[in-house]
Amino acid sequence: MEKSDLSHHILSRYNDDLERVRTNVLQMGGLVEEQLKLAVEALVEGDSRLGEQVARGDVKVNAMEVAIDDDCSRILATRSPAASDLRLIVAVIKTITDLERIGDEAEKIGYIGSRLAAVERPADRYRELKHLGRIVGDMVHEALDAFARLDAEGAVAIAKKDRLVDEEYEAIQRQCITFMMEDPRTIRRALDVLWVARALERIGDHAKNVCEYVVYMVYGKDIRHLSLEDVEKHVQSKSQKAAPEGH
Amino acid sequence: MKLPSSMSSVGWQAAGRLSIAVGLALLVGLILRRVALVLAIVLGIYLVIQIWNLLRIERWLTHRRIESPPDINGPWGEVIAIIDRIYRRKNYHRAQVTGLLREFRRLTTAMPEGAILLGPEHEILWFNGRAAGWLHLHRKRDVGIRIENLVRHPAFVEYLKHGRPVEGVIVYEPADGGRYLSFTLVRTGGSERQLLVVRDVSREMRVESIRKDFVANASHELRSPLTVISGYLDALADDASLDPAWGAPVLEMRRQTERMSSIINDLLELSKLESGERRHIERPIDIAGLLSLLRREAMSLERRPRNVNTQIDSEEWLLGAETEIHSIVSNLLTNAVKYTPSEGEVTLRWWTDDEGGHISVRDTGVGIAAEHIPRLTERFYRVDSGRSREMGGSGLGLAIVKHALQRHEATLTIESTPGKGSTFTCHFPQHRVVSREGVEAGVARLHAVD
Repeated sequence: MEKSDLSHHILSRYNDDLERVRTNVLQMGGLVEEQLKLAVEALVEGDSRLGEQVARGDVKVNAMEVAIDDDCSRILATRSPAASDLRLIVAVIKTITDLERIGDEAEKIGYIGSRLAAVERPADRYRELKHLGRIVGDMVHEALDAFARLDAEGAVAIAKKDRLVDEEYEAIQRQCITFMMEDPRTIRRALDVLWVARALERIGDHAKNVCEYVVYMVYGKDIRHLSLEDVEKHVQSKSQKAAPEGH
Repeated sequence: MKLPSSMSSVGWQAAGRLSIAVGLALLVGLILRRVALVLAIVLGIYLVIQIWNLLRIERWLTHRRIESPPDINGPWGEVIAIIDRIYRRKNYHRAQVTGLLREFRRLTTAMPEGAILLGPEHEILWFNGRAAGWLHLHRKRDVGIRIENLVRHPAFVEYLKHGRPVEGVIVYEPADGGRYLSFTLVRTGGSERQLLVVRDVSREMRVESIRKDFVANASHELRSPLTVISGYLDALADDASLDPAWGAPVLEMRRQTERMSSIINDLLELSKLESGERRHIERPIDIAGLLSLLRREAMSLERRPRNVNTQIDSEEWLLGAETEIHSIVSNLLTNAVKYTPSEGEVTLRWWTDDEGGHISVRDTGVGIAAEHIPRLTERFYRVDSGRSREMGGSGLGLAIVKHALQRHEATLTIESTPGKGSTFTCHFPQHRVVSREGVEAGVARLHAVD
């Protein structure tokens, strides 16, 4: 039902504009995903040049954010969109902010990764960070998939994963504190590891935000600051209502 | 066709019957002296029978899937038989086409490669089971969505937009433990639709990375013992107390260790080119300056052709990695100098046109026979093994050129006439050519960021 709302300006340039904005957001997302993947790889493999490259690559993400922002302002000013089109534009403006922040966090991880490459590596070769990085990377990937498919139910399922990320973050934090108490010489490295874990945890939050915008875009309901259970109930009731009308 | 003739015969039959009935009615009417009444009754009965048959046929036609054709004699029966035949034929064809489609769908699902049919805006129109499994596509959900919204790798998006590189692009999909997928776009002539072929190349990538690692590690490991050997050989050559009979062997050993270390250096450079895809810093390069620098170097060699010329036909600069462009031209120039006799000439040329920038190295040397040209850029490929070993080449120069060019989306063409000379030309794409003013205005930096 909502999907057809987004595609009923058939053959109009307006529709082209909206589609292009959507595609651009997803391409920015693809870039951010790649940055995140390379940043974690640089850290885990101890590749300082790759880390620096990620840190430099953030410029591209920022440039895309500015370009998409411009497009959105132009559409708002010239087309005055309404209903689901307006929700799309609002969701896009918010999504690119979060994507840009994810890019910033990836930049930070790349930077710390290039610094950590120079110091001695722990026995576990940052296995926990790799694990957390994978969970967070999957979250970002699936959040963008939900955005592409306008899949509100999927978005809610992904937002739930954020709890898992928080748990992993807690675990890494506890582990770092133990290391620091056992051997004060590792404090510097442990602090860096904590920074990275923190950055990954923040990326998880941003991915969750993107999921919330997907729900907003599809159902027009602002689910920020609501408990996930309430949101789930809401989405389910909406999708059941929508199903018979849709066909 | 049969239809009209049988219809007309049916029509005649009906007319015949009607006239017999009318004739009988007239006869009976004349006998009973009630001609009009009898005629009206007979015609009325006739009409009722016709309408009744028509209703039965209509009923059968609307429910023909479940009901067998009504059993009516005469012309209506003929009509029913004809209609029935047409339907049977249609059903037969439909069953055949459906069977074919089902077979086709089964085959595409069993195909070892994924296939996705894209519309003009890259929207997904159809895909087979393989592609669905690898990319997590869902028939109900994902048909109509643009492919780049779901496969978002920057390299893939770039490939989709520009069709470069021609042979397709490889991306890493992290889902299900991760696999490398290669995408190739097949453009069908005339149609706006495109077929995207997806292959799982994880195995190839693994083997390839083992090979690269092996070459890189082996070269590193070989280099250090070789340094020790050549160090001792240098010392031996300078040792006055050594028996003079050892002079020639030591010299030969030094020459051979030098050759070996140049091979190892080339191998290392090649493996760096292959692996270091990301560590690639590009900036505008003054090709005219580079060529004249290399010319001066070549002219200072002991064994060289009579003349090395430069011909600069363009003021433009080239966007690229400086060390790699240097290594491309220097390798080509070294080859040209090596295979050109001392009375010959070598010309370096730089020019630009609508297609992009071109660097050529032309010599008047021995030339290469046509059958060797396609294989020249293979590692260790030698046209004449005895002679090139004597010249001291590593056999890797053109392989390095090829790899460095690939990283700049450039191509190499080789023209040669045996006995007359050869021309090696590098063709760089248009977007790498930057104007001198642009470089000075700093626009090139923006270009590099973009």
